[in-house]
Amino acid sequence: MSAFVVAYFPHLCLAFGGLLVLCLSMARSVPAGFYPVTAGLFAALPGLWAVAGPQGGSPIACFYAGLLSVIALATIGLLARYAKRRGFAGDALYGLLLWSALGMLLLADADDWIMLAVGLELASLCLYALIAARLDDNLGTEAALKYFLPGAMALAVLLFGMALIYAASGSLEIAASLAAPGPLTAAGLALVLIGVGFKLSLAPVHLWTPDVYQGAPAPVAAFLSSGSKAAAAAALLHVCSEVSPEAKELLWPALAVAAGLTMAVGNLGAVAQGSVKRLLAYSSIAQMGYILMAAMAVNDGGGEAALFYLAAFALMDLAAFGAVGALSAEIGDRDDIAAYRGLGYVHPWRAGVLAIGLASLAGLPPTAGFVGKFLVFGAALSAGYVGLAAFGIITAVVGVFYALRLLAALYMRESLIAHPAAVYATGPAATLALGVMAAGLVGLGLFPQTLLGTIAALFGGA
Amino acid sequence: MRQLPWLSLIIFWPLVAACVMPALRGDAVACRRFALLAALGELALCALIAGLFAAGSFGPALIEDAAWIPSFGIRYSLSLDGLSLIFVVLTALIGLCCMLASRHDDRERPALYYGLILASLTTVQGIFLASDVFLFALFWEAQLIPVFFLIGVFGHGDKLRVAMKFFLFSATGGLLMFLAVIALGVLSAGAPDGPNFALEALTRLDIPQNVGRWLFAAFVLSFAIKIPLIPVHMWLPDAHTEAPTAGSLILAGLLLKTGGYALIRFALPLFPEAAHAFAPALTVLGLVGLFYASAVAVAQEDVKRLIAYSSIGHMGLAVAAIVSGSRLALGGAVLLMVSHALTSGGLFSLAGAIGERLGSRRFTILGGLWNKAPHFGAAFLFCVLASAALPGLSGFVGEAMIVFGLFKVNVLAAGLAVAGMAATLVYLLRLARDVLYGPPRSALPFPDLDARETVLLSLLAVGIVWLGLFPGPVLGLAAEPLNAIAARVWPGL
Repeated sequence: MSAFVVAYFPHLCLAFGGLLVLCLSMARSVPAGFYPVTAGLFAALPGLWAVAGPQGGSPIACFYAGLLSVIALATIGLLARYAKRRGFAGDALYGLLLWSALGMLLLADADDWIMLAVGLELASLCLYALIAARLDDNLGTEAALKYFLPGAMALAVLLFGMALIYAASGSLEIAASLAAPGPLTAAGLALVLIGVGFKLSLAPVHLWTPDVYQGAPAPVAAFLSSGSKAAAAAALLHVCSEVSPEAKELLWPALAVAAGLTMAVGNLGAVAQGSVKRLLAYSSIAQMGYILMAAMAVNDGGGEAALFYLAAFALMDLAAFGAVGALSAEIGDRDDIAAYRGLGYVHPWRAGVLAIGLASLAGLPPTAGFVGKFLVFGAALSAGYVGLAAFGIITAVVGVFYALRLLAALYMRESLIAHPAAVYATGPAATLALGVMAAGLVGLGLFPQTLLGTIAALFGGA
Repeated sequence: MRQLPWLSLIIFWPLVAACVMPALRGDAVACRRFALLAALGELALCALIAGLFAAGSFGPALIEDAAWIPSFGIRYSLSLDGLSLIFVVLTALIGLCCMLASRHDDRERPALYYGLILASLTTVQGIFLASDVFLFALFWEAQLIPVFFLIGVFGHGDKLRVAMKFFLFSATGGLLMFLAVIALGVLSAGAPDGPNFALEALTRLDIPQNVGRWLFAAFVLSFAIKIPLIPVHMWLPDAHTEAPTAGSLILAGLLLKTGGYALIRFALPLFPEAAHAFAPALTVLGLVGLFYASAVAVAQEDVKRLIAYSSIGHMGLAVAAIVSGSRLALGGAVLLMVSHALTSGGLFSLAGAIGERLGSRRFTILGGLWNKAPHFGAAFLFCVLASAALPGLSGFVGEAMIVFGLFKVNVLAAGLAVAGMAATLVYLLRLARDVLYGPPRSALPFPDLDARETVLLSLLAVGIVWLGLFPGPVLGLAAEPLNAIAARVWPGL
């Protein structure tokens, strides 16, 4: 019993924390500040569990408990004042956030197809609601719907794929069922990959991403892009590492095309955007192309590279979307690129975090993105995907271009009177979260060995 | 006594100073003073190290080495030998000149302005000192960032477009080189000592010919963009023209030199076979650049733009010399690069001074400046003559060595180089004539050089004359590293 509690401590914490927050609202007089504090407390526990190095926790659970703990904590920090000022703070917001994190954790460490589906859907259902958290915001509601309808479709495809795999292998365990030979497994696997690829916004099933990110409140978009992407990528890595050689031969060319397409579509799509949130959405699509490339090389060091890149990516998007939220006035988000002109001088700290996030997304040194690109492309090259890596590097140049566009707006254009530079007071939690994200990006860029060593220690033995 | 981390000090001292700058942001005078002191400190540090190096305290090379990312064999390893030392001192000197040359560009946001200059010194020093290829690639990419902001925030005219153009050109080359660096790491993973990015170890790697050529092409593309070699030079005239004076100094004096230096230090020893294979193509491009730049420079209407094109020609000659296979020409190329940094630094500062005084640098409003400002005229003529390689000045030694070296290996190339140098005289003489002589075409007053500008130009002039009369010490410093590289690339030499 106690071994069970130790092994599933993070899951229990998140589940119980979510419940507690929802139950608290039944009490008559709960101060509004109580919800984020409670949620933050429960979000921090999985991280502490991971740091303590528990007995019985799988390496992937350990890694993801830590990562999701950071993501959830940062999101709560970014959300607290943001949601309060815009009038959508409440029990549901924080409860759903914790449960969504629980779903992501289940998705990441699932060994069983059913568990994978449950985790995916738990994470997604909560996210649908989170995106629509602002009831008076039509854009958010529309975004939630746009995420929900194709998301349900993707789930159906995923479940059908699982059914095929089960039919072919008679097993629901991921590793065992994928080892079964035959075309049915491969067909099922293809459908599973499409379903997971939807959540990862891999081209050509990425089309929902820009709309949803634009409509979601900026901190929720940060959570959506960092958390759900990281968890779905974990599932992808898990599946890719268990695939049988014959299925690999069949599916990998298609994956290579998808990876190349994702990188190209994401980076080229971002160039044309006038909206910052859409730009960041397209850039996150492009980053998932790099992840897919690493996932294809999962058994040649790509797994470790992808995990590092995912952690770096989570920091980047939390920093970028968090800064977008922090740079916004009391209503809505600051979205038009033209509205960012000259902000670098008016709000040097918040704009600085955005700049570091962008530099990292573009892979410039000395940020985590630079080292991440090094690892991912290194894995691709050692697995022999030379053409794909070369193509990826060329699309990365385009990635540099749009990051520069926004950086140029921040620092090189005088501000326009039409766009007042006023921002809301973010409060200490968001300031701390943004500071930690920026410091983390530079820290991981300069001293990647800390995280690399952790990843190697977790997975080296396995 | 435990040795001081001299090399890290050289690299990071300017960055530390840059981080202090925001604290002074309200006070332009304090910013200037502090930046000047920081640059002086850097120069003093480099001079001290040069002295110690000459005295033999460090042996053949000064090395710093520490584990950085052990899982991939990446080390924080720096090394300073004679060749690096030349460029390190040059960087500190140009850095000081940048501080002296900036009086009109720094009025808005002086803290940011000087901070960016200091930060770019850090990245350039890093390139000259890195001996781990990953570390080198990191500094190589990083050097774009401060210069991008320097041009974009403090430049003139269509500065945003120009800054983007500069960054995208350089980043394209840089990222392809980055991929090649990763490939080197992957190739070295099979070696007995595991994955490794140490330059020394990578040169001993047995790379298949076909792969080596691709990697060399990626490296050289990146360096060629920075040098700049035609046809990838398009970013340079715009960047030079719109950059603030200090930006032009950094571009011409330092960034272009990182390209030439990296070609010698990294591309040649890593891929000797490919260097042989591509040498004719690079020579042709370099020499074509020499003629092309001269032809285009004659037609320019802006002083800075003309000087920018002259950089393409000089650096093209340097590239032809570097790949020629002549040890003499290789030494000449190093000398030519140093000389070019000094002369173009002087010319760009003077062009900047023209712009500050008259509000424009177009030839249509110039002329007759010698009579208006004799000291200015003398300095300008001196720099023009140094750029035209007058005997006794720095350019001459480098160009003479290159021509002699080329004659031994390839008479045709040598003949073309001589003809190309003659072609440069056309635009240089035009530059001197249209700026200094003839009737003045602008009624605006033209104050002569002030004390600050005199100090700046005297510094450069001392360097130019010294290099022209006593090139021995500099050549001596570079001799040993260049011999080692030449012995590796052209064993029969």
